[in-house]
Amino acid sequence: MAPRLSRLLRRLFTLLAAGLLLLLPAARGAPTAAPVIPVRVLLPAPFYDATVGALSDFRRSHPGLDIELVRGPLDTDTIADLAVGSLLLGEAPYDVLMVDITWTPLFAAAGWLEPLEPLVGEGVLEAMEPGARAGNAFDGHLWRLPFSGDTGLLYWRTDLMARPPRTTEELVSISRDLQRQGKVRWGYLWQGRQYEGLSCVMLEAIHAFGGRWWNPALGRTELERPAAIKAAALLDGLVRDGISPAAVAGFAENEALQVFAAGEAAFLRNWPYAWKVIEQGGGPVVGHVGVAPVVVAPGQEAGGTLGTWGFALLRGSPHPREAAAAIRWLTGPEMQRRLAVEQGYAPTWTALYEDPQLQKAAPLLKAQRAALAAGPLLRPLTPLYAQLSDVLQRQINGMITGQTAPAAAMAGAQQRSEAVVRAMTGAGG
Amino acid sequence: MRLLALLWSLGPLLWQLHTSLLPPEALVGQGPAGAAAWTLANYRLVLAGDPPLWRSLLNSALVGGGTTALTLLLALPCAYALQRRRGPLAWGVGAALLAAALFPTVLLFLGLLELARTFHLGNNLAALCLPYTALALPLAILLLRAAIADLPPELEDAARLEGMGLGMRVRAVLLPLLAPALASTAILTFLFSWNEYPIALTWISRVDRLTLPTAMARLAGSSVFTVPYGAFAAATVLGSLPLLLLVLVAQRWIVRGLTQGAVKG
Amino acid sequence: MSELALDLLLMLPALLLLAAVFLLPLLRAAWLSLHASSVVTGLVAVPNGGANWRRLLGDERFLQDAWQTLRFAGVSVALELLLGLALALLLHRPSRGRGALRALVLLPWALPTTVMALGWRWILNDPHGPFNALLSRLGLPTYGFLTTPATTWLATVMADVWKTTPFVALLLLAGLQSIPADLVEALKLEGAGRLTILRRLTLPLLAPWIGLALLFRLAQALGVFDLIQVLTGGGPAGSTESLAVYAYRQALRFLDFGYGSTVLMATFALLLLPGLAWLLLQNRLPRRNA
Repeated sequence: MAPRLSRLLRRLFTLLAAGLLLLLPAARGAPTAAPVIPVRVLLPAPFYDATVGALSDFRRSHPGLDIELVRGPLDTDTIADLAVGSLLLGEAPYDVLMVDITWTPLFAAAGWLEPLEPLVGEGVLEAMEPGARAGNAFDGHLWRLPFSGDTGLLYWRTDLMARPPRTTEELVSISRDLQRQGKVRWGYLWQGRQYEGLSCVMLEAIHAFGGRWWNPALGRTELERPAAIKAAALLDGLVRDGISPAAVAGFAENEALQVFAAGEAAFLRNWPYAWKVIEQGGGPVVGHVGVAPVVVAPGQEAGGTLGTWGFALLRGSPHPREAAAAIRWLTGPEMQRRLAVEQGYAPTWTALYEDPQLQKAAPLLKAQRAALAAGPLLRPLTPLYAQLSDVLQRQINGMITGQTAPAAAMAGAQQRSEAVVRAMTGAGG
Repeated sequence: MRLLALLWSLGPLLWQLHTSLLPPEALVGQGPAGAAAWTLANYRLVLAGDPPLWRSLLNSALVGGGTTALTLLLALPCAYALQRRRGPLAWGVGAALLAAALFPTVLLFLGLLELARTFHLGNNLAALCLPYTALALPLAILLLRAAIADLPPELEDAARLEGMGLGMRVRAVLLPLLAPALASTAILTFLFSWNEYPIALTWISRVDRLTLPTAMARLAGSSVFTVPYGAFAAATVLGSLPLLLLVLVAQRWIVRGLTQGAVKG
Repeated sequence: MSELALDLLLMLPALLLLAAVFLLPLLRAAWLSLHASSVVTGLVAVPNGGANWRRLLGDERFLQDAWQTLRFAGVSVALELLLGLALALLLHRPSRGRGALRALVLLPWALPTTVMALGWRWILNDPHGPFNALLSRLGLPTYGFLTTPATTWLATVMADVWKTTPFVALLLLAGLQSIPADLVEALKLEGAGRLTILRRLTLPLLAPWIGLALLFRLAQALGVFDLIQVLTGGGPAGSTESLAVYAYRQALRFLDFGYGSTVLMATFALLLLPGLAWLLLQNRLPRRNA
């Protein structure tokens, strides 16, 4: 038994060694003998699926160039890990990275990005809607071109009411009535899980009461102010009063969307993509969904959170010029027209909003332009954003799950945010 | 009792199997999920995904194989020498090995990430075998040392008297007698490498080089709309099958290998 | 070549690799914990005179995570030892199909943690998982197992117990097999019952194995990462975050390597606790396999 086994093991050994040898050349990366220069782009799965079909157009219009899209994970936090992981390894296998608006200052400060203005020109943003220009430059350089002009929107049921609510109070009272009449199980669905989406919801709520999260001039948060506490109390009350289900504490965009699409709620806070998904889903609410700006307190004015993704050039890319051309095309009018029609994404280029043909093909366009014109909300533009957002998410999620009251949650958020700023910069607070 | 133990161990797995065979609509739809017809759609989805799941299965198998081979290659001589030595040196090395075997690997990830960057070891499956081997070595050495200690010492002396050199003694005497211990060590090493997460998470960022645990954690849905639980479940089943076979075949050796070793460390 | 030189040469490759993979990162983390190294410093390490450690002591989140990690490790390891012992006794008893039973019961331990963490997420899903499906079929409201801190914590413990009890059982089974059968027979002849045998013979002889399992599991549980990262992400509201997850966040999400290293070193210090306990225990118990 034993000798036979050892022979078996030895054979296994040889096999494994051979396998390992096979790995070595593969690990060095395939040589690019072809004259075509490939630009490798990492992007989240949904954007990959939305853009990959158009690549043949690019190859036709850009001979000698190719775009190689790499399909990343679905979820924002996971793709952030993947991107940061590959950048930390020092030899990112990509030329272009699709970055969320909140990553830009962090990645720029870490020295991972190449400024774009020498490659695409200083004035490139001028043909865009003013609201869509924000969040792309930091510290005097342009770091990315926006893929879309997406902002947070309020989805409402046209079969249940004549017009959408404008204020938080209206939203609450309409929800109550509809729930009492048994027409919907829930009033308002939003994103309450401890993740970036909750920060977006909270930012909208703070501004809805006339406050702000971050004071860029002083470099400090303003979360202990009355507006922020009122915002927290609003979200807390929605859950306590049963207008939003307790399960929102675990909802990201998709979970909220599923419940809304199943016809169980009157309102949904989500991004532009949700509209196409609902319309194509074939559920009970198809044809009965309208889109409006997010609600605010009476007498206030505010837009939704600017939630755009964009393309940034990675430092160390062997062909920055070609990569810049790819970025121009990926964020260009033709791509955005296509995405507006097929996916419902908001364009950034003003010309597209004024195109009557597109207005017909993309019914959301008007509401989207209004949201961009209302002055969309920027999350704190600082390299410390990830920490600040993490603090806020923890506090608000703790409040929604019933561990703290709104005032205490916000006092804690302010104190911890100050501690982060102090520890990182030796200032603030 | 036995039934209870089986139910507790296998219940969640069977549920995953069940989930993996249901069409996505049945998972989140109304009505009893059990009534829907079974389908292989989820399997097709993960196998045809980008990158396909078989790719990460292959990556994991290669890394597991490489790690196992390298671990045995380094552990056997070390265990052999350690067993022959007495005194403070051997004791110290043994104690350090025990401490290392207990050490949770996650505490090393930051330093290892920097090593990977400094020596350009990222995104290289062959290089990933190095930290894996190091992490598997302590336990491997301790197990093999215990197995060698159990061999009758006269055997080697006799072989030496016959004029066999070290290499000959190893091949003719040591290896055949140690085969069961080597097998169990190999299996434990392979299991460790198959399951390792934090280092793979930081060393591998190219999508086509991901090992199974990282690929699973990053599995993307086919659309934004569906939370891809059916695909998750199918991937779970596919990722578990090789291990199920391995454990079924090798259960005896795993227990025996541990019986020989461990506490003597 | 002398025997000593030959032995050293044989040990050298393994020991070198071990030093590179264990010692270098630890020393580097210790060094980094005395430096500021974050986006603010452009990812360059600048000495900051122990500011990281002072920050750590005043960091409520660190203290909370430390407590949560200890609580998680204590409860799950205690459960694992109890259930593992019962399972080992069960598997030790001769019966038909024992080999297959052992293999099947071992299976959870062999599966990747991340894989099953995703499985648990689905099983506990609100409202589509089996538990909630059962609840709603009984006409009860569904329950968000992973959105309430208390049940989420229970879920992490359960998932850990599910996965690692077989490992503890395996170690203890190995221990049981090393107990000479004639000793058991002798006690039986004296008319001792099963409980008496367990208390008088099995448990004392099993003690070193139990100690080893305890030590190994405690060390691993204090460094828990995969399970938390994939099952809960540390939520809700950070109520299940472990020290290792916090350190990972600091480094890879916030790009603060100085403070991330400090958290890692503090976790390491926490690990020395069971190590010390083990040493004490070792001195108490007579060593069997000297």
